[in-house]
Amino acid sequence: MKRIPGYLCVALLLLVVTYPLVWLFLGSFKTQDEFLNNPTTALPESFTNFANYTQAWSAVATYLQNSLLTVLPSLALIVVFGTAAGFALEVLVWKGRQTTLMLFLAGIMIPGQMILLPLFTIYFNLHLTGTLWPLIITYTAIGLPLTVFMMATYFRAIPREVFEAAAIDGASVIRSFVSVGFPMMRNSVLTIALVQFFFLWNDLLIALTFTTDDSKRTVQVGLLNFTGQFGVVEYGPTFAAICINVLLILAIYIFLNQRVMRGLAAGAVKG
Amino acid sequence: MASHFKPKHLMAAAGAVALVLSTAACGGSSDSGSTTAKNFSFLAINENTTIAKTLTTLSQKECATQNTAQPLEIKNQAQASLDQQLQLLAGQGALPQLFTAANAPSLTSQLADNGTVLDAAAVSESVLPAASSTIKSLYDGKQLVLPTELNIEGIWYNKKLLTDNGITTVPSTWEDLVAAFAKLQGAGVQPISQAGKGGDGWGVTRWVGNYILRQQGPDALKKVADGSAKLTDPQYVAAADAIAALGKAGYFGKSPTSIDYATALNTFLTGKAAFIYMGSWALSDFNDETKNKIGVDNVGFLKFPTVAGGVGTADQMPANVGTAVAISKKAYEGDANTQAWVKCIVDNYGTVALRDSSQITGFTTDSAVEVPALTKEIQTEIGNVQSSVLWFEGYFSAKATTVSQSNGGLLGSGQLTGEKFMQTVTANLG
Amino acid sequence: MHSVLGDRKSVAILLGPALLVYSLIMLVPMLWSLGYTFFTGSVISGFTWAGTANFSKLFDDPALPDALWFTVKYAVVITVGQVLVGYLLALLYVYFLRRAGSVIRTLVFFPVVLPTVAVALLFQKFFEYAPQTGPVNAVIEAFGGTGVDWFSTPGHAFLVVALMDIWRSMGFYAVLLYAGLLDIPDEMMEAASMDGAGTWRQIRSIVLPLSLPVLVSSLVFSINGTLKAFDSIYALTGGGPGSATTPLTLYMYQTSFAYGDYGYGSTIALTLTMLCLLVTIFIFRGTRRDLAQG
Repeated sequence: MKRIPGYLCVALLLLVVTYPLVWLFLGSFKTQDEFLNNPTTALPESFTNFANYTQAWSAVATYLQNSLLTVLPSLALIVVFGTAAGFALEVLVWKGRQTTLMLFLAGIMIPGQMILLPLFTIYFNLHLTGTLWPLIITYTAIGLPLTVFMMATYFRAIPREVFEAAAIDGASVIRSFVSVGFPMMRNSVLTIALVQFFFLWNDLLIALTFTTDDSKRTVQVGLLNFTGQFGVVEYGPTFAAICINVLLILAIYIFLNQRVMRGLAAGAVKG
Repeated sequence: MASHFKPKHLMAAAGAVALVLSTAACGGSSDSGSTTAKNFSFLAINENTTIAKTLTTLSQKECATQNTAQPLEIKNQAQASLDQQLQLLAGQGALPQLFTAANAPSLTSQLADNGTVLDAAAVSESVLPAASSTIKSLYDGKQLVLPTELNIEGIWYNKKLLTDNGITTVPSTWEDLVAAFAKLQGAGVQPISQAGKGGDGWGVTRWVGNYILRQQGPDALKKVADGSAKLTDPQYVAAADAIAALGKAGYFGKSPTSIDYATALNTFLTGKAAFIYMGSWALSDFNDETKNKIGVDNVGFLKFPTVAGGVGTADQMPANVGTAVAISKKAYEGDANTQAWVKCIVDNYGTVALRDSSQITGFTTDSAVEVPALTKEIQTEIGNVQSSVLWFEGYFSAKATTVSQSNGGLLGSGQLTGEKFMQTVTANLG
Repeated sequence: MHSVLGDRKSVAILLGPALLVYSLIMLVPMLWSLGYTFFTGSVISGFTWAGTANFSKLFDDPALPDALWFTVKYAVVITVGQVLVGYLLALLYVYFLRRAGSVIRTLVFFPVVLPTVAVALLFQKFFEYAPQTGPVNAVIEAFGGTGVDWFSTPGHAFLVVALMDIWRSMGFYAVLLYAGLLDIPDEMMEAASMDGAGTWRQIRSIVLPLSLPVLVSSLVFSINGTLKAFDSIYALTGGGPGSATTPLTLYMYQTSFAYGDYGYGSTIALTLTMLCLLVTIFIFRGTRRDLAQG
C-alpha cells in the first residue's frame, strides 16, 4: 500500500517521457498533408508509408557518419588531455598551478559566440574549411575547461600518498599517472565522456558556422536541411530522420550505459 | 619517460604556431586572381534548389562548351547563415564567381561599394524591364544581381468562397475589400490567411507597406529611408492602425502568431480562408494538385487595392527578385571563361527555368514554352508592369527588418497598436 | 616528496597539450574578440576605431536590459528546475526503483540525446493553438478550460521554454545525481533507518548533506549551460513573441551575424561573460562555505 504513490509517480513519469517519443515515431509515417490537415493527435493513415524514411535515410547516413567522425575523436582528446591536465594541476606540485586552474575555469564562462569569427578566420587561412577538422579542434577546446576542472576536483579526493608511493616505487610521475591515476578515474572519465558526448552531439552553433559543405554536415545541422525555402518544414522526413538518429543513439547509449553502470558497480566494490 | 620536453620548448612551440596563424591571417588568400579559375563555382542555398538545378541543366546542354572550359561546381549553404558566410568570404577575398545574393540588400550594396560585386548592367541585355526596375530600386540604381526569380505580389482569392458568400464583384478598393472581410467573417469564413509566426510575420507587414504606398504614393517608403519622413508620422501610423484594426476584428484568423508560412498557404489552399497576400513564387504550389485542394481555376489574383483619397495606384506593383544571384567582380574581370559562362546564363536561364521548373524569372524567355493558365496570366501581368514598388522592409537595415517581421504577427493578432508597432520598428532603424 | 611530484618535465607533458589547445582555440580568439569591442564595422566595410562608443551604446540600448533580465530569469528558473526535478528523480531511483530501474533511467534520460531542433518541433506541435489543437490544449479543453495561445504572450512562451528545457534535461541530472547518491555508503543509510528515522528525515539529515558536492557540481553544470542557452530558445520561439524571449546569447548572435555589427556584438558577449564570471565567483564562494560546514 505504501508503494502506490511511488507507482503513480513512475507511471506519470513514463507517460510524460514516452508519449512525445511515441508521437514522434507515429509522425514519421505521416504525409505532409496529414500533418497540415489532420488533428495533431491522430494516428498515421498508413503504417507502411516508408517514403519518409527513404527520403531521410539517403541524407541522414552521411550526417550520422560526420557526427561520429567529429564527436568521437574530440571525445578521446578531451578525456586524455583533460585527465592529464587535471592530474598535473591537482596532484603535481608546482608554482602557478592555482592560476592555471583559474585560467581553465575562465574557459567555462566564455560563450561560444565570442570565439566564432576569429576561429573562422584562422581555419579559413589554414585551409581547414570544408573538412571536419575545425569541428574536431573546436569541440576539443570547448570540452576541455569543464573536464579539466572536474578531473582536478576528482583527483583532490584521492590521498596524494597513493601517487607518491607509486613514484617512490620507481615509477616516474608520468607512469604513475598512466598506471595508477588514470585507471582510478575510470568511472569519472566515463561520466565526463558521457556528459561531453551529449553536449557535443547536440551542438548546433559551432557545426552551423564551420560546415559549409553539404557532405560535411552533422546530424544537427542536417536536420535543418529538411526545412525548405520560405521556412516550409517537411515534417514527415524530418521526423523520420529524427527517429533514425534516435535509434542509433539508443544503441550507443545502451552500450555505454552498461559500461557506466558496470564501472559504477566496480567503483562501489572498491570503495 | 625520457622526454626532453621542457616548458621553455613548449612556449617556443606555442609561439611558432601563433606566428604561423598570424601570418596566415594577414596574408589572405588569392586563389582567384587575374588568372583563369579552374572551376566555375556557385554558392547556392539549400532552401532553393531551382537555381542549382537550372545551372546543372545549362552545364549539360546550352552551356556545355563553357562547362568544358570551366566546369560548374556548386556549394551549398543554409539560407540563415548566408549573409554571415558572404561577409566572411568577402573579407577573405574568396567569393566564388557566382553566389546567391545576400538576404539583406544593404549587404550586397556594401559589397559593391567595396568593389567585390560586379555591376551587372553591362551583361543584362536579356533582363525584363520589370526586373530591372525592381533591382535598381533595391540597390540604389545599380543592377547588382541577375534576376533568377521575378515575383509580383498581391492578394489571391478563392473565387468560389467569394461568390458563395454573395461577393460577386472582386473588391478593387480598400473599402470594398474590408467590407468583403466583414461579410465573410459574419458568414463564419476566415477572411485572410496570413502567417505571423516569428520571422514569417512579413505576411502581415506587407499589408502595412502596401497600404502606405497606396495612400501616399510609391516613394513613401523611400522618404523614410531618406530621412524626410518618419514611420511614426501620423499618416504612416494610420496605415499600421488600419492593419491592426483588421487584426482586432479577427480577420487574420484565430492566432496568426502561431501560423507559419506553410500553414498559412495550406489554409488558403484547402479552402479555409478567402484571401491570402502572397507572391507569385507560390504559383508552383497553386499549380500542384496535391497541395491545392480548391483547384487552380478557383484561384484569382487581385492587385493590392487603392485607398480612398490616396495618391498611389493599383498598377504600382509590389515586386521582388526573390533569390537572385550576384557575380564576383574580382573573379569576373580578366577571366574570359567566367565571362563566357555568365553570358550563357543570361541568354538561356529564363527559358530553361520556365521549361523545367515553371519558374518565372526576370530574363526574357522563348515564347514556345508551355505553361499552366494561371502562370500565363501572371506572366502577362508581369509583362505589363510599368513601375514596381518595394515591400515594407525593402529599405530597412537587417536589424529593423527582423524586428518588423517578428512583430508583424502581433499586429495581425491585434495585440499591438499601429503606433506601438511603428515605434518599435523606428527604434531599430538606425 | 615534492621533488618527485614537482617534476617540471612531467608537468609540461601532462598539462602541455590541454593548455596549448585551450589557449589557441579559446583564449586567443577570446582576446581577439575583445579587441573588436573598441571597433565598429564589419568584415567587409572594414573596422574603424570606435573608442568606447560600443560601451555607451550598451547603456542606451533599450533591448539590452530586457535581454539581460531574460537571461537571468531563464538561468535561475531552468537551473533550479533541472536540478530539483533531477534530484527528485534520483531519489525515486534510489529509494523506490532501487537498482532495478535501469530501463526507466534509460527512458527518462533519453530526451537529452534528441536533437534540439527535433524537441522544439515536438513542443511547438504539442502546445499548438491554431490551426490544429495540440494535445495540451485538447486536454485543457477536455477538462472544461479554454485553450491557451501559448506562443503569443511572453509569460506563456517562457513557460513552454522552461517546460521543454526541464523535460529535456531532467533525466540527465537524475543520472548524474543518482551516481552521486550511489556513492553514499549503505551503512550510513542503514544506520539511519535503524535509528527509526523516517524516509524524509533520513533524506534531509543524511542524504542531502552527503550529496551536496554532487548537487553543487550539477548546479555548476546547469548554470553553465543555461546562461549560455541558445539552441532551444532559437528553435522553439525564435526569441518571440516580438523579442520577449530573447536572451543575451541570441541578441548577440543576431547583432553580430544577422545585423553585421561585430563590435557591438562582441560588447554584448562581453556583458554575458561578465555575468557568467559573477555567477561563477558567487557559486564558488558559496560552495567553499557550504562544504566547510558539511
